[in-house]
Amino acid sequence: MSVFSQSFSPCGRFLAAGNNYGEIAVFSLSAALSPDATDMSQKPILTFTAHEGPVFMLLSTDTHLLSAGNGEISAWSWVELTKRVGMNMHGHEFVYSWNNDNSLIVGGGDNNIHIMDMETGIFKSVLQGHTDYIHCLALKEREGEILSGGEDGAVRIWDSRTSQAVHCIEVFKYEECTRPQFGKWISCLATDSDWMLCGGGPSLSLWHLRSMSPTSVFPLAGCQRDAMFYQDMILAVGEGPHVSHCLLGGSVKAQIPCTSPSLNTLALNLSSTEHRVMTVAGSSDQIDVFTNFSYRAFSLSF
Amino acid sequence: MSSDTLKKRKAKVIRSDGGTPENKRGRAEGEQDVRVYNEEVELEGRDPEQDYVLYKSTCEALAKLMAEIQELKANGAKEGSEEVEERRRQGCVHFVTLKKLNRLAHMRLKKGRDQTHEAKQRVDVLHLQLQNLLYEVMHLQKEIGKCLEFKSQHEEIELVSVDEFLKEAPAEISRPHLTKEDPHQLTLARLDWELEQRKRLAEQYKSSLCSKEKILKGIELKKEYLGSLQPGLQAIMQASLPVQEYLSMPFEHVQKQAEVARHLPPPLYVLFVQANAYGQAFDKNLTVSISGDVDEAKALSRPPEDSQDDESDSDAEEEQQNTKRRRATVGVQLDDKRKEMLKRHPLSLCIDLKCKGVQFYLFCVMHVNLNGVLHLFFYYLMNLNILTVKAKVSTSADLSGAISAGELLNSESLLNCLYASDHGQETPNPGNRYQFDKVGITTFADYVSELGHPYNWVQSLGGLQFFGDAPQTEGAQSSLSASHMEATMKLLRGRLQSRLALHKQFSSLEHSIVPVSSECQHLFPAKVVSRLARWTMMSYQEFMELSFVQHVVKAGLMKETDLFFMATVERGTARLQAAVVLNPRYPEITPLFSLSLLWKGERSGRTDDNLRAMESEVNVFKSELQGPRPGLQLLTNQIQRLCMCLDVYLETESQVSDGSEGPREFPREKMCLRTARGPNRLKPFKYNHPQGFFSHR
Repeated sequence: MSVFSQSFSPCGRFLAAGNNYGEIAVFSLSAALSPDATDMSQKPILTFTAHEGPVFMLLSTDTHLLSAGNGEISAWSWVELTKRVGMNMHGHEFVYSWNNDNSLIVGGGDNNIHIMDMETGIFKSVLQGHTDYIHCLALKEREGEILSGGEDGAVRIWDSRTSQAVHCIEVFKYEECTRPQFGKWISCLATDSDWMLCGGGPSLSLWHLRSMSPTSVFPLAGCQRDAMFYQDMILAVGEGPHVSHCLLGGSVKAQIPCTSPSLNTLALNLSSTEHRVMTVAGSSDQIDVFTNFSYRAFSLSF
Repeated sequence: MSSDTLKKRKAKVIRSDGGTPENKRGRAEGEQDVRVYNEEVELEGRDPEQDYVLYKSTCEALAKLMAEIQELKANGAKEGSEEVEERRRQGCVHFVTLKKLNRLAHMRLKKGRDQTHEAKQRVDVLHLQLQNLLYEVMHLQKEIGKCLEFKSQHEEIELVSVDEFLKEAPAEISRPHLTKEDPHQLTLARLDWELEQRKRLAEQYKSSLCSKEKILKGIELKKEYLGSLQPGLQAIMQASLPVQEYLSMPFEHVQKQAEVARHLPPPLYVLFVQANAYGQAFDKNLTVSISGDVDEAKALSRPPEDSQDDESDSDAEEEQQNTKRRRATVGVQLDDKRKEMLKRHPLSLCIDLKCKGVQFYLFCVMHVNLNGVLHLFFYYLMNLNILTVKAKVSTSADLSGAISAGELLNSESLLNCLYASDHGQETPNPGNRYQFDKVGITTFADYVSELGHPYNWVQSLGGLQFFGDAPQTEGAQSSLSASHMEATMKLLRGRLQSRLALHKQFSSLEHSIVPVSSECQHLFPAKVVSRLARWTMMSYQEFMELSFVQHVVKAGLMKETDLFFMATVERGTARLQAAVVLNPRYPEITPLFSLSLLWKGERSGRTDDNLRAMESEVNVFKSELQGPRPGLQLLTNQIQRLCMCLDVYLETESQVSDGSEGPREFPREKMCLRTARGPNRLKPFKYNHPQGFFSHR
């Protein structure tokens, strides 16, 4: 089993995770984190089959859980999770999505980015430009820009209002980042206003968006699949059974070991103060939970 | 007078001298009549009183005379003087008178005596008569008494009642006119009738005895006849054996078996009956036979005293012999006790299961039919009360040629784990633990190779049920029923077939050819470049030492009873090692592959997600890979799929290690819609059939 996606509930008390069999499991964080937690509380409180193919992406809005599977996006109400509320067939192999206000930005296997209005369900616009499927999306809310990274190795920056590509960075062409033995694809993107984090085939690198140049390259072996900015640290997961804590300067502060041999997804529960945890999951059925980000506290099992 | 009588008597006598006695008598009588002086008559005339007086007077006179004589003599008389003489003469006369009186007295006495005697005689006679009469009276009285007491036998005879008699008896016997009045006659008549009847019955009895004799003789004759038939029948039976075989109705054989089967111990007998029944009802390819020493079995069922005596005798003899050399050590004695405990019953059951030809696609060239027979020998351990089984496989074709297949048909492990975790190394009877402790047997596993395996299913087939330690979570082992037999036979047959199939497949694999049958060609593309380089067998230790299988060990997916193999698939510089765990219950349980790739560094299923995906492709999809029933092509299809996935893996790796975009070692030949998908960029390993392209699952 591989867990591909995670999402915390709006209240922050539940964690939903999707695996490669198309199942979504919901865990109760409050039960798992409580002092009298037993083994049973590390099992999901609910498991249901959402899609036929792997659930590559889970996203939580205020009321709904969106899941992206093999060519379709489904919306599930958090109140009543087994009931599928809306379904949107996109007809492509897999879909990624991101939420912004009321529009859903969906990057698909058809190499395009679609923007869909959540209320009406109509696709507003299409951003074309990638030559291969899209791995990841990031959003600069202030400027309303969308960053997308894909299998073709290019990071494209789009303006969401005009639906035009603003920039295109081909990361693999930069000597500092490139790692030809792995390839050129970009599998993780994160942005923090002026800064962009991207990695995949090329090494994980921090870019300054104004100057469009890499400022630091992180010496992490293996390809990183998910990364994010947290306070003044960068957290990255990918191939290899560890979570990497990196400093903005480009050094790797720590590598915290995890149970899965490689990790696909990293999630932080920022919406809740009592259950502030980081969870990582990857190519096993164990979802590691970090209460203190320096060590693994326990694992939920799918 | 007296002198006259004297003279007369003398004259009588003189006269009678001359005459004959008779004449004398006659004359005497006559003379008596004529001139007999009967003094007796005179006697009657005389009065005794007078005689007495006479006597007295005579005596006085005599006395007087005497006195006179005396006086005279005193006076001087002379001898012969007249007076004296006169007195003497008187005295003599007086003497004569006295004599006569004396005589008369005597005669009277005699007469008196005679009279008395006579009277007495008369009295005696009368007395005697009286006695006689009295005696007779008594006698008669006794007789009367006896007669009165006499119970005639006729009273003991139960006679028919009078009425019946009067009804039944014919008139001549019953004579009613007589018998009605006279009870005596009635009784007589009844007795007559009884006699008549008895005579009749006696005749009947004789006649029926005769007929019985005849019938007995008839029976004897017939018995002899039947006895003479027996050898004839035997001859016919013998002659019909070939006919029986031809018609496959082996009655004779069955009878003989049944005869021997009576001496089987109970569990073997149950097994025999059930197996026979199952074979006749369902399965023509199952044969049961009994082998072993019947005499020994009979000896066992005899009372044990004989054998114990024999043992003690022989022990005594042995001991005597041993004292010469060495006393038997304690160990040897213990050894003997162990042997005694582990003794087998002399009879054993042999069940042969024939397998229909299993087809093989051998060397991709020809189909081979392999008929195999699984011989199962069942033994009963008497003291331990368990059944054990030994297995042997014999095949029609020669099975040599596969080195790695050595373990497959090994009789020790052939029947391992027929049901899950039924290893057959320990005795299933918990009571044996105590017996073993007594003779110092620690594990039964040491003796298993010699005695056979005590699997749980064998005990169930024989009707022996033991309560196990663990609660029954592994499936029903409750009662022995025909379905238990059926399930076990099916499993056995399946096991033999799968082993034979594997055997052939292994010999092909060792030649680096993966045999794929025509039914399974659709699973794979036409051209698969990666080839199987090596197929070897591994031991348990070797397997445990491999680094890339530890996840299997940790997950508990393999046991020491499994078989381990190493397959090496090569293409160009890339070498893929696959460690295979083959459960004895193949093909029910899929063989488990663990991969390690040596190509530009070492990767395993733990480190590389694509290898992990390949492992799942090969391990998980049994329903696709097992091919047509009974699914014996699972392993070869798995290997072929592995080769195919390696092809895809290598061809879709687009990088070259030294950074340049030089020619790839593995040009892309496979058609793939998309070479990567998802965050971990998995390769397309799924082959779609008629279109011939690869896609993601």
